[in-house]
Amino acid sequence: MDTTPWDPEGATTVLDAEGRVEPGAIPAGLDLRIYYKALVAARCLDVRLGRAGVPMYASFAGEEAPLVATAMQAREQDWIYPGLRDVAVALVRGMSFEELARQVVGGEGGPGRVASASLRIATGTDAIAMHLALAAGQAHGQKLAADGGITFALVGEGATTTGVFHETLAVAAACDLPLVIVCRSQLWPSGAPAEAGVLGDSVADRARTCGVWERRVDGADPLAVYGAIGQAAARARDRRGPSLVEVVVTQLLHDPPAHRDPVERLRRHLDTTGQWTATFQDVAEAEVRGKLERAFAAAQAGVA
Amino acid sequence: MNVIDVMAATLAELLREDARRVLLGEDVRTGGMLGLSRRCIDDPELAARALALPLLPATLAAHAGGLAAAGMRPIVLLPGVAPLLEGLAGLREVGALAAKNAGERTAPVLFVAPCGPGFGTAGDAVDAPETALVHTPGLRVIVLGRAHEAAALLTAAANFEAGEEPTVLLVPRMLLATALDDEPVAELGRLPGEPVRVRAGRAMTVFAWGECVELALAACAAAHGGEGVDAAVWDTGGLAPLSIDTLVEAARDTGRVVIVHAGPRSFGVGAELAAVIADRAVLWLDGPILRVCGEAGPLGPRQELRALPSEADLVAALQTLAIP
Repeated sequence: MDTTPWDPEGATTVLDAEGRVEPGAIPAGLDLRIYYKALVAARCLDVRLGRAGVPMYASFAGEEAPLVATAMQAREQDWIYPGLRDVAVALVRGMSFEELARQVVGGEGGPGRVASASLRIATGTDAIAMHLALAAGQAHGQKLAADGGITFALVGEGATTTGVFHETLAVAAACDLPLVIVCRSQLWPSGAPAEAGVLGDSVADRARTCGVWERRVDGADPLAVYGAIGQAAARARDRRGPSLVEVVVTQLLHDPPAHRDPVERLRRHLDTTGQWTATFQDVAEAEVRGKLERAFAAAQAGVA
Repeated sequence: MNVIDVMAATLAELLREDARRVLLGEDVRTGGMLGLSRRCIDDPELAARALALPLLPATLAAHAGGLAAAGMRPIVLLPGVAPLLEGLAGLREVGALAAKNAGERTAPVLFVAPCGPGFGTAGDAVDAPETALVHTPGLRVIVLGRAHEAAALLTAAANFEAGEEPTVLLVPRMLLATALDDEPVAELGRLPGEPVRVRAGRAMTVFAWGECVELALAACAAAHGGEGVDAAVWDTGGLAPLSIDTLVEAARDTGRVVIVHAGPRSFGVGAELAAVIADRAVLWLDGPILRVCGEAGPLGPRQELRALPSEADLVAALQTLAIP
């Protein structure tokens, strides 16, 4: 594939810019249309959240793949510890539109945060990245209880220069915790200087130096993201230790070329294999948008 | 036997009783920095539950909170209060966990930390560390007042008898080294943190906690050249939450109040207690509420005992209050 300056170096892809995939590279057991619909739902959610009056709302458009892939691969007994801007995880994990809208509008957990003890989505933390430490403790408890559960923790690269992040890597490696850290690297973050999060070649590189299994994948390629997170989860479930999956994403607000959009890239793949039609797209979008509208209208009426 | 021996034996018992209990803290696999885990590591079945972790100054409290949220019952053995201050951000998250989850998740973590002067180390030992801890929402803070209650208080705290909040049990260093002459009490006979009157009296009320409970008893006996004063002495026990109703009632009983605690007077728990008593009992008071405390730091190791109020200062305060 001809790379453009927008494409990150050293980040694995299996799906090229035109949606063509290497033979045998599609993760086993993955229904691509279901995955695509979940990505579309996440995109619609981002658009709707931008209009929901969330204070300091920061869009996650372009970053859906790690959120959706994590939620799809987390099993019922697994825990997800989201960071900021990870609302899509709750939607894909099975939270109702009504509950999601109610939490977003009510703002109980803080602006734009949703959580659910029954869905095993943890509440957020005020201290930066402290949810990583709670996630490590959770994973430690799962290991001691031998219940087969694992914990996913979502974080952005800006938090990877903190003491909390390094202590989490240290304890995860030392105690062999069933912890999967999914780190979204924006490289050129819109809300922070370019220096934020930069320490060495990459976050994955630092994890490897700490003895933690890692993969660095291109966030524009939903199949690579799904595959890497799946491998990491399998390792944790087999009690083969913690891992870090770095997903290099391009924020759509930078107006990148279309192939940097993970939803578009997977759409191109489905199109090349005859699984996508404009009608399918319209119906998928309309369904989600309708539900979102009704849920947010009800939530806002409930608060009024 | 001293208090450390008794607490070490109690910890082993606690681990045997509940398989969810695990020990965290520096060197717990080799006895812990105070030797509190040494009875546990003697027993091969318990030793596996003394968890070896790297140094986690910023995240130890949060890690323990995660373990507790996952269903374990971690007991964190600390060498002092400084680690809690280093990890205060994480401790605050643990304190907030139950409220954020509307009670669906709790974090029953027990932190055991020595406090106060007595080992010649100064540093955080001369501060009143509870002042930072009581401001942590959702955290229970209790302090051992009398050596012979060490085992019973540790047991009651580890059983979370007063509630499943994360709990800090402060153990004054002056008490840790105490040799136990009396048999340690088997049962606390009250909820951990509940105040208890340790001396009856009708003319004045002394509220003390930690190492100052024995100091208060001694001062009450030594006042007026050994004649003593007619003072009630209370071991306050729980600093967060304060048992306000009980303490206000005890203040109203006599109308003359002295509060005595280690560490500086300013902005301490004693200040809060004085304000609460003034709020609720001013019409019962015969005069201002006296606070007898230690010197503010920083104090070097040679001066660390100045962080404790002196018996002479307390006797003077009691004698002042005894004037009709």
